[in-house]
Amino acid sequence: MSEPARAGYRGYIGSRPILGNRTPQAVQNLVIRDYCQRNNLTYLLAAAEYMMPHCYMMLNEVLAELPRLKGIVCYTLFMLPDSPEQRREVYRRVLEAKATLHAALEGQVLRTPDDVGRVEDIWLVQQALAHSPKTL
Amino acid sequence: MTGGFLSNEDRILGDAFLKDGYVIRAVEDRAALDRIQARMAELAASQLKLDPPNDPKAFLDDIHDHVAPDKLNAFRLAMIAGINNETWFRRAYYGLAEKALASLVGNELAMQRRANLSIQLPGDESSLLPAHTDTWAGDSPFEVVVWLPLVDCRATKSMFILPPAANAKAAGKLSSYNDKGVEALYRDFESDMRFLAVDYGQYLLFDQNLIHGNRVNVEKTTRWTFNCRFKGLFTPYADKRLGEFFEPITMRPQTRLGLAYKLPEGFDE
Repeated sequence: MSEPARAGYRGYIGSRPILGNRTPQAVQNLVIRDYCQRNNLTYLLAAAEYMMPHCYMMLNEVLAELPRLKGIVCYTLFMLPDSPEQRREVYRRVLEAKATLHAALEGQVLRTPDDVGRVEDIWLVQQALAHSPKTL
Repeated sequence: MTGGFLSNEDRILGDAFLKDGYVIRAVEDRAALDRIQARMAELAASQLKLDPPNDPKAFLDDIHDHVAPDKLNAFRLAMIAGINNETWFRRAYYGLAEKALASLVGNELAMQRRANLSIQLPGDESSLLPAHTDTWAGDSPFEVVVWLPLVDCRATKSMFILPPAANAKAAGKLSSYNDKGVEALYRDFESDMRFLAVDYGQYLLFDQNLIHGNRVNVEKTTRWTFNCRFKGLFTPYADKRLGEFFEPITMRPQTRLGLAYKLPEGFDE
């Protein structure tokens, strides 16, 4: 018996500041839609994460939906949980579902276990930059 | 409700809104509603390269005969762009619930700049809005939603809402659903959820701080509903800001005078 056809890529946007910056949801949607068009991905209505700090209920909702999706396109990589353990759990669920995880702003894609290290390098450096000098 | 200054009509409407978290009423301008529906049907027919329909409501009800689920979001966005380009549309929309908005929200209002549209084909799982409140996702708790069906919406073709008492219980334990997800929350409170029957010719005005959403439409026809937010112009804004998301629509003369006023200057000690 063949597997049921999967729908396209679920957008994932945020409603709280990311790295101290606020991006309107309409702009986040535009970035994702543009990314999907340029990469020939079918874009599905985005889920908006809740504004309460450390809340990832919408992300969990989208992860639960993965068996029916081809993947997730989040606005930015830095919307993922701050905790490395929680991020790795996200990657695991995406790969286990044979789906892909895209970050539209950074143009990064997680398709295989080999991509985890590259994505995590970006994350860890970004977290370290918070403690680095801010002026040139 | 407190306040002997309110009219009896306002008090009755306000009490119903506070008790249930919503009111369903006949639109205040039927001609404006018919114009919106007819234009939406024309736009849809044009997008699908079909002749303009004789019966807009039947055409919209059966749009699933012409639009596949994988084309739905692009079609929906084209419909939103088309109707929001009509210069008369937002004034007409506001006029559908103008008196109720004045009564429940105020007479100096900000209105969402682009009304949103939900199209839910029978059996389609791709455009669901799980249980949520708009406030959790960046809206101000001072906003209300005017929800407008272009077809008769009942049961799963409509939306559900959790009334205030049950909503307070659910919101109080929301963090315990962080890992289980909102579907688990829906199931735990399913018996309290109300699917609202709102027919064409009526609007639903609801408090978007209450948990609401939709399920797979298992009825035989397609849901078409607009949603548009209104708030008091000077009440606090959240992530949906003035200018980018909201626009003043009913600023009053003394407010204009006050905003322009400058105290005389030039005094020195």
